Amino acid sequence: MADSPELIKKSIKTYTLIGLVLFIFTGVTVAVATVPALDIGVHGFDAWDMILGLAIASFKATLVGYIFMHLNHEKKAIYWIFFGAIVFFAFMIILFMSAESDLIHYNGFRFGLPY
Amino acid sequence: MEIPYIFTPRKDTGMVNSKIAIWLFLASEVMLFGGFFSSYVYLRLGADYPWPERALPVLPGLINTFVLIASSVTVVFAWAGLKLRKWRMFQVNMSITIFCAAIFMVLKGIEYNVKFHHQAVRLDDYTILEGHLNYDKNTLDANGKEVGEDVIRVQAEKLTFSTMRYHAAWVEEILRQATEKGSKITLAEDVLIEGQSVTKGTELSVALLKRVCKNHLDSRGNNASVRTDALRDEWTTAKAKAENAGKRGWEIAPTIEINAEKIAPLLKKETSSLAFVVNPPLQLWFPHRDIKEGDAQSRLRDDTVIDGKLLDSPVNIHNLDAIDFRHLVMKAEEKGLDPIVAIENSWLIKNSEEAKAAWNWNKEQTAKLEKELLDNYGVDEKGVAKRVPTETERYRIGWKDFISKANGVDKGDAEIVISEEFFGPNYKLREAKHTFPHLKIPRKEVFLSGKFTPAWNTYYAIYFTMTFLHGLHVIGGAVVLGYYLFRGKKMYQSNPEWLANRVEVGGLFWHFVDLVWIFLFPILYLM
Repeated sequence: MADSPELIKKSIKTYTLIGLVLFIFTGVTVAVATVPALDIGVHGFDAWDMILGLAIASFKATLVGYIFMHLNHEKKAIYWIFFGAIVFFAFMIILFMSAESDLIHYNGFRFGLPY
Repeated sequence: MEIPYIFTPRKDTGMVNSKIAIWLFLASEVMLFGGFFSSYVYLRLGADYPWPERALPVLPGLINTFVLIASSVTVVFAWAGLKLRKWRMFQVNMSITIFCAAIFMVLKGIEYNVKFHHQAVRLDDYTILEGHLNYDKNTLDANGKEVGEDVIRVQAEKLTFSTMRYHAAWVEEILRQATEKGSKITLAEDVLIEGQSVTKGTELSVALLKRVCKNHLDSRGNNASVRTDALRDEWTTAKAKAENAGKRGWEIAPTIEINAEKIAPLLKKETSSLAFVVNPPLQLWFPHRDIKEGDAQSRLRDDTVIDGKLLDSPVNIHNLDAIDFRHLVMKAEEKGLDPIVAIENSWLIKNSEEAKAAWNWNKEQTAKLEKELLDNYGVDEKGVAKRVPTETERYRIGWKDFISKANGVDKGDAEIVISEEFFGPNYKLREAKHTFPHLKIPRKEVFLSGKFTPAWNTYYAIYFTMTFLHGLHVIGGAVVLGYYLFRGKKMYQSNPEWLANRVEVGGLFWHFVDLVWIFLFPILYLM
């Protein structure tokens, strides 16, 4: 834990910087979704927009977790608790998605992806 | 008693207890929100209607994202203030955090309110119309709430109440409307209640229905026990036993016949429904959700049957601010029909000149966009255009499009006033140019009508569930952080590290709330 006043002062700078990065990437998420020139994949919303949007969101979430929630220097027990839950969550999402999508008769159009 | 490990770490975990506790709690929160995110995936993949992609106004959501991120920064600053033993720094930053929470909730409130007042109608041919009902202030429902111009009117000649299911508030509402219009609702036939005869012509009242209900339930109870007794008598006879040797009572029960004549004098008359005549016939109206209408007979949700003609009960949409053909197109394509032909044969295009003009304008705009995309991006090796207009651009005419059309500019070029991004179109401002049409939809064309509430479709259901749950977390977090701000001085004076640990734990929760929103914002607003 960054406990000494010097380290705290140093981390205040980091927090400000991370705050700025989060602001910028929020802007980026909106820009790629609304500005036609920045639209990736086909025109309008498609799988690539979804992947990009979620990737930016995950990046932002990682910054919040690592820096603001101090996961970059945390005790082992906490990693087990939190990432254990994340693994369960990921498993649940995969279960849902595999229940819904039929990989043989996969209708790629639904996501705007080519067959 | 002193609470252990509030500022010195426990040896085995290496942490103060509250920290382990909050992380366990956050892990459970991951599963809670995880369940809802999974539901979102499930609902979206399984939707049998065009999912409303990018349907919400982005600006309020974007501001809320900025606000939450800012509060996440200030909450770590507040914690750092305590670590540096700067009480003032803690106070200022924590106050900003709580202020941010308040802004977030106010914006959320505005968003909710706009949705709760926005009317949607789905026609029988799957055209979806959005707009507002012009509230007729004199039209109130049984609960005294305003009912818009979306009521069903019937010419009631006879009312038949279900004695067990009648809803007293609706009976009173019917009586109120009858008194207002000078109609009398009287009993159609004599009825026997508790041995006393209530004669034909007695006026309807809740008290009367209550008595009949009690009498009916008593009779039913009596008749059931009479029949049970008779059955028991029958199957305990020697004859029944001999015929069904070795069988259990419940096995022989269906074959046992009771002597109806013998028990007839013991049975009491059941009155499951009670009919009343309305003289002179009365025009009654009900909110559409409470009644299933029919040409000659309608039925209320409490099983009250109303005999009488269905009167003209149109849905009056004022300021029609969106026409959405995407569902209609989806249905047409499922049947292998040409979507454009299906749209042009729809009730709306055939019956409303303004809607037709809007549709034609939209078609021109789509053609323009199609050409522009072709010019900019070209075709692939098969000669197919690389980029084409989306379904939304083709088949949905939203409020911004109506403004573009009225102002004579291209789709998307309309000048929108900032407040409109929050509250929706400013109808007064746009009235001069007749931006938004008014439309009377006959009842028989209406399949479904309602506000943009969780009941409208699964998108709004999951939207409200997730954002409401998230909002509760914002409120909960703000209350806890507020407690540290206003009541934490004592803790700070006794041991600053104690409050610092508490604020760190509260802050961890706050960051988690921010983290959830980081995902909610793109999936609900941008995808």
